[in-house]
Amino acid sequence: MSALLDVRGLVVEYPGAGGAVRALDGADLTVAEGETVGLVGESGSGKSTLGAAAGRLLSRAARVRAGSVSVAGESLLEMGSREIRRVRRERLGFVFQDPISHLDPTMRVGAQLRRAVAGRTKGGDIAAHLERVRLDDVRRIARAYPHELSGGMAQRVAIAMAMAARPRLLVADEPTAALDSQVREDVLDVVFGLAAEAGTGILWLSHDLPAVARRCDRVAVMYGGRVVEDGPAAEVLARPSHPYTAALARSAPGKAERGERLEPVPGRPPVLVGEPAGCAFAPRCPMADDRCAGERPVPVRIEGRDVLCHRAEETGAAVEIVPAVKR
Amino acid sequence: MRKAIRGLDRLSRAGLACLLVLVLLALVPLTGLAGDPDEIAGPRLQPPGPEFWMGTDNLGRAMLPRVLEGIGTTLLLSSAAVAVTAAVSTGFGVLAGYRGGAVNGLVMRLVEVLYAFPAIILAILVAAVMGPGRPAALAAIVLVTIPLMTRLVRGAAAGVAGRDYVTSAVISGARLPRVLGRHVLPNVAGTVAVQGTYALSVGITVEGGLSFLGLGVQPPQASLGSLIAEGTGYLVAAPWLVSGPGAVLVVAILSINVFGDGLRDRLEPRETRSLV
Amino acid sequence: MRLLLWWGGRALVSAATLLGVSILIFAAVRMMPGGFAETVLGPFATADQKAALAEQYGLDQPIPAQYWHWLSAVVTGDFGTSMISRTPVADELGARLPVTAELTLIAIAVALLAGVPLGVLTAVRARPGGGGAAGRLLSGLGVSVPEFVLAALTVFLFSRYALGLRAGGHVPFGEDPAGNLRSMILPALVLSIFALSATARTTRDAVLNVLVEPYVTAAVARGERPSSIVLHHVLRNAAAPVVTLTATIAAYLLGGALIVEYAFNLPGIGSFIVQAITRRDYAVVQAGVLLAAAVFIVMNMLVDLAVGLIDPRLGTEAGGK
Repeated sequence: MSALLDVRGLVVEYPGAGGAVRALDGADLTVAEGETVGLVGESGSGKSTLGAAAGRLLSRAARVRAGSVSVAGESLLEMGSREIRRVRRERLGFVFQDPISHLDPTMRVGAQLRRAVAGRTKGGDIAAHLERVRLDDVRRIARAYPHELSGGMAQRVAIAMAMAARPRLLVADEPTAALDSQVREDVLDVVFGLAAEAGTGILWLSHDLPAVARRCDRVAVMYGGRVVEDGPAAEVLARPSHPYTAALARSAPGKAERGERLEPVPGRPPVLVGEPAGCAFAPRCPMADDRCAGERPVPVRIEGRDVLCHRAEETGAAVEIVPAVKR
Repeated sequence: MRKAIRGLDRLSRAGLACLLVLVLLALVPLTGLAGDPDEIAGPRLQPPGPEFWMGTDNLGRAMLPRVLEGIGTTLLLSSAAVAVTAAVSTGFGVLAGYRGGAVNGLVMRLVEVLYAFPAIILAILVAAVMGPGRPAALAAIVLVTIPLMTRLVRGAAAGVAGRDYVTSAVISGARLPRVLGRHVLPNVAGTVAVQGTYALSVGITVEGGLSFLGLGVQPPQASLGSLIAEGTGYLVAAPWLVSGPGAVLVVAILSINVFGDGLRDRLEPRETRSLV
Repeated sequence: MRLLLWWGGRALVSAATLLGVSILIFAAVRMMPGGFAETVLGPFATADQKAALAEQYGLDQPIPAQYWHWLSAVVTGDFGTSMISRTPVADELGARLPVTAELTLIAIAVALLAGVPLGVLTAVRARPGGGGAAGRLLSGLGVSVPEFVLAALTVFLFSRYALGLRAGGHVPFGEDPAGNLRSMILPALVLSIFALSATARTTRDAVLNVLVEPYVTAAVARGERPSSIVLHHVLRNAAAPVVTLTATIAAYLLGGALIVEYAFNLPGIGSFIVQAITRRDYAVVQAGVLLAAAVFIVMNMLVDLAVGLIDPRLGTEAGGK
């Protein structure tokens, strides 16, 4: 069976002052029907570009240099505008980070929801849609303008709009990053609950590694515009194979024991101009050798995960958790 | 400034080049090569030809030297007025924006009152009080262009006043002139430059309008506006009397506007998005 | 409630501005050559007339009291007497109002009906890095050709090739509606060119700003059609700056009408004021200027009220940008 979302070798560049900047450098990612995949990585790793590419929502300046994106077997990049709109309406749902600014400030919430619902399915009661995302007092909310809602309420409205047509894939770009920690769990419960009920696959872009480990079937770790490790979420994050995953896991709060020091990933994520000669992580990697600097790694399959590292065979599924860190 | 000009696109550079050519043309009469603008040089209402490139007017004066003199009068008058506007607006705008409070309120109310007059009507009022002539045209341009520039400079200055580096400079004991000179002025310079170019084009329009109504530059002195005003009496018999100075006037305003647009786009670039 | 308070505040500011304008005009008239008596009565007034005027307006009283008298007269519609026609200025202006009103209304209708769609279209089709040179040159040309040049050009062209339209002169609407339109259409078009270009440019800017808003991205992500996104999400959000501009344009048109009426020889308020200035009929100048400023201030207030209706965030904490 072909994957629901299938991204292959995608290369995306943005024009920059000093030459084209590579946001994606041959990214590979799949999401199967009904599967929940967490996409993690530092800011600038290419997560958002990859998430946007799943709906061909790249900004106008972006240039796709190579690769393919397909949803339910249909290739998005060659599609006409009418077809891409049909795919977005029928198969895809998007939820974004800052919920209030993603709602039209001059239109009542109920009217916006009604438009979203009407465009996708036949009629439907908007109150029912609001209740499905566990909002109380739905009549008051339907009459409100976006700026009169709290972030959590607005995000539930956005989720109701995105899930109105029971899409096959929901792309959620850090939907809870702007919310309070308490509201965050509730909203995630709503997203994952609705998706499970509708059989919707989720691509969840997140910084919250513990939550990804807890809620997702799989995790894809991005670095330098490529997916560097991809496998079962809980296992990968508990026992990383890629040195970068290990560094990222060490820097995550919440997972650490009380009193244990959080180690930031040393150095800065790269800004790629053109194709790097070797592994993009090599300059920051404690295990890097000559080969890492000069030869692009290819995915290696180890213990049910794909790892993009020359030394993956040696480390197996356990990079030593605290290797000496080069400063 | 040089960097800003280097980053301009081709159209804006063309605008700037056009403007420079006009300035050079305005200097030609000083060399005496173009002939005397007031001398009766040939027959009346002679169409443009090899002898008189832009024809002659109703008194038989050659239009070419008159238009050259007109360019000089118009440009000099407008740029002098804009210089006054820039100085006054920067002073009041920075004061209001940086100081805020009652000073800000007072300056903004005054500006609001001036802003309530349509440009040409304010200019007419000035001409009525001062009597027609060049001083009235100059004062009119200043009063017409002050409100917008003061507002925008005030906005820019207020934006800078709240920044951390200004606060820290004040806390570390820098005197007011130093704070204004080192931190505030450089940050409003871009606004003044962009608005200055627009004010220049407004100034040329106002001078032209006033002179067209007979309230600006008075004959025999030529300005682009007064030449057009004189020419409209002979529109059917001698259209070149209007088309010559008219074309020059439009080119002047257009090149300034295009340059201003480019400068603005350069200083505040913007994104676009596709709906597909 | 919040909206009402906000509107109230705007009305107060407008009233204060109008007061400032009246002070400025009062002062200007005092500074005019000949002084107030001549301004109102003309240079040939007798001593008796002057004495009567001094009593009527209290010219022997202190300046603030004089201002007060003048202001109360103006508020009741008494702008003094035209020295040329010896009739009240208010009547003279009233008789000429229809021409100016027709001219500016046609011009503003043309500017909005053509300028807004043009601005929306060019914004939606805009490419990164600004439009093509030709488009920018054309839009620049629209705001760069002064009315008096365009008017002269039009008068010249249409006096040679009439094309069924009249350039110059006026036919009252009551006498011959079709002839009236034929005589008004050219001046109105000339008057509208700047307003049209300014509207198109402002609309384009406003729409470009809205197009990069996140809620437009969200609508694109939902697979909405571009026409539907523009209609439902872009237009209303981009409307505020355009509506605000209408007040500025209206003011601009009042000034432009003056030049166009003069150039096309139309008997409106504008050409009347120009005439009054050259004949030193200051009572007319004073009334005309005050009227124009008042129209602009009132327009601005109305526009602010309209913007309050367009954007629900105004008047609330979220409205402060």
